[in-house]
Amino acid sequence: MTKTRLLLRKDLRILSRSPVLVAALIVYPLVFAALVGAVVRYAGDRPTIAFVDLDHLPEQLTVGGQTFNVPEVLAQVNENAELVPMDQEEADRKLANGEVNAEIIVPRGFASRLRGMVESPQLELKTARGGIASRVEQQTQALVYELNQRLQDAYIDANLQYVNLIVEGGTGTFLGNEFDVVGLQRAGELLAEIEQTTKDPAIAEQARELSTFVRQAQLALGASDKSLRATANPIKLEVDTEAGRSWLLSAQLQAYALALTLAFICVLLAAAAIASERDENVIGRLARGLVGLTNLVVVKVALAALVAVVLGLVIALVFGALVTVFDVTGGEPWERLPLLGFGLVIAGAAFGAFGVLVGVVAREARTAVLVAFLVALPLVLLGLLPDGTVQAAHVISKAFPFSHAVDFFQSSLYDNDPWSTLAREAAWLAGLAVAFGAAARLGMRRLLA
Amino acid sequence: MHPGDALALIGPNGAGKSTLLSILAGALDPSDGSVAASVNHRGPKVGWVPQKPAHYQRLSPRENLELFARLEGVSETKEVADRYIGLLDLPDDGRLTAELSAGNQQRLNVAVALLAGPEVLLLDEPTASLDPRQRRLLWQVATQVRERQGAVVFATQNLEELERFATRVAVLVGGELVFDGSLEQFKAAPEADVFA
Repeated sequence: MTKTRLLLRKDLRILSRSPVLVAALIVYPLVFAALVGAVVRYAGDRPTIAFVDLDHLPEQLTVGGQTFNVPEVLAQVNENAELVPMDQEEADRKLANGEVNAEIIVPRGFASRLRGMVESPQLELKTARGGIASRVEQQTQALVYELNQRLQDAYIDANLQYVNLIVEGGTGTFLGNEFDVVGLQRAGELLAEIEQTTKDPAIAEQARELSTFVRQAQLALGASDKSLRATANPIKLEVDTEAGRSWLLSAQLQAYALALTLAFICVLLAAAAIASERDENVIGRLARGLVGLTNLVVVKVALAALVAVVLGLVIALVFGALVTVFDVTGGEPWERLPLLGFGLVIAGAAFGAFGVLVGVVAREARTAVLVAFLVALPLVLLGLLPDGTVQAAHVISKAFPFSHAVDFFQSSLYDNDPWSTLAREAAWLAGLAVAFGAAARLGMRRLLA
Repeated sequence: MHPGDALALIGPNGAGKSTLLSILAGALDPSDGSVAASVNHRGPKVGWVPQKPAHYQRLSPRENLELFARLEGVSETKEVADRYIGLLDLPDDGRLTAELSAGNQQRLNVAVALLAGPEVLLLDEPTASLDPRQRRLLWQVATQVRERQGAVVFATQNLEELERFATRVAVLVGGELVFDGSLEQFKAAPEADVFA
């Protein structure tokens, strides 16, 4: 048995003798993950909405003589929600497993119905149950309201043209067919002529009646401008709130729970473990040829990685069991667990290496735990900020394993084609593990002084 | 140092005794100079008893002994642990080291240093927390090392132990060597007695 394995086994034995500490280390990050997840999903983050365009909307859409720039309209929506174009199959899958919060579907024939202005075309909104669903629905209703307002003018102008055509007469088009309209005005004139020229009193009487109707119609249609402008919401929204899984079991929350647990447990554990070697005065005994200082760093990183993979898989199994038992939409991707396990190992190693560095700097175990917590907490929170909100926070969080771990876990569990994301995040995590480990090794002599 | 030597390091607090022993043990690098040691053209096996106990508090004495024996490359770890538990009268009831008395912890500290059969034994104020019987036991163990043609270097503040056990005395003050000679020379040089 190598010396590294001997020390690793010793650390695990010591850890197993502190069950209360282990329980606290597990429970605390999970509770924290749930709270942070709730805060992020309810307040901080823009909801991610899948945008399924079955009608292949053109860039320029002309309705009632008004031209809409479709990408520009979507960009306006992006201020309040992240609209991600994708096909229906992918959108359904992502909604089912919680990677997106909702799905907006533009059905086939939407643009032609809109242009035709005869009936209101429908957008379809699918959301998950509970949690953020109501917020997504509000966002989407706001979007539709905004579109309706812009379309309303075009509709009214177009409808008024028909009204004017009926009142004044002329040539118009309807559903692509051109036709001549006499118009109420000319009809009134013709009826007056008939009334004056006819010798048949019955026909004269009928002409008078028709003239009266034409005048009434003219009066009524004269007010149509105001009544038409009072017409609103030409687009109706159909909402299906049963299409996705509860946010408590969503892909995003699973990834956060795993990464948060690892961020705290691995950093605190590695920091305390390395500083304890000094507190117990053992590091000098080990360093005098029994175990190299590099080996000692490797042992603590390996300890963190081992604990990470065990705890991470337990958490994943609990999530999976809940999803399976309650037959949650989307199901649990059990076949992805080995991939997740690999991510847990490298993420645990990266967090562990960071923890060792903290322990080396702090030197004393209690100080190391406190410093590790104080350092890890803001770095984790930085990683929770949505991309693009604070650029500096985004850059700083990239230098800490948390955001990479979240992306790795989410992608490893639920992405259809996760390989490019996994390769990128694995490279980041491995690079951070090596960088923090090397920095810790440079500082190890501090523990001997 | 020669086989059978017992070098006493004395000096006031902060003189550098513990630092020198740490350097001799290989736990610290010297800021200047070097340590040269050879037994039969190889480095000697060194056992080090630091001033503060250096073992794992949340392991039992037996677990500590077996772990350090394995790290030292000792093959029959259980037998070796049995031997030192018996020799130094260590408790073997599964209690964690943290629950032991200071004296028991110090004896475990000594036992860990003896695991590899050291040819040079470095003792840093080893009797500070031991009762008279345990002190006698410790010096018996140190004498056995000398009798095996080994050498002992010990730091002490106790002149009685120095006179009883040392063959040579080195006096350190503020990191400087101010005296180095035999026990007889030390006794004849009252200026070397920094505690006077």
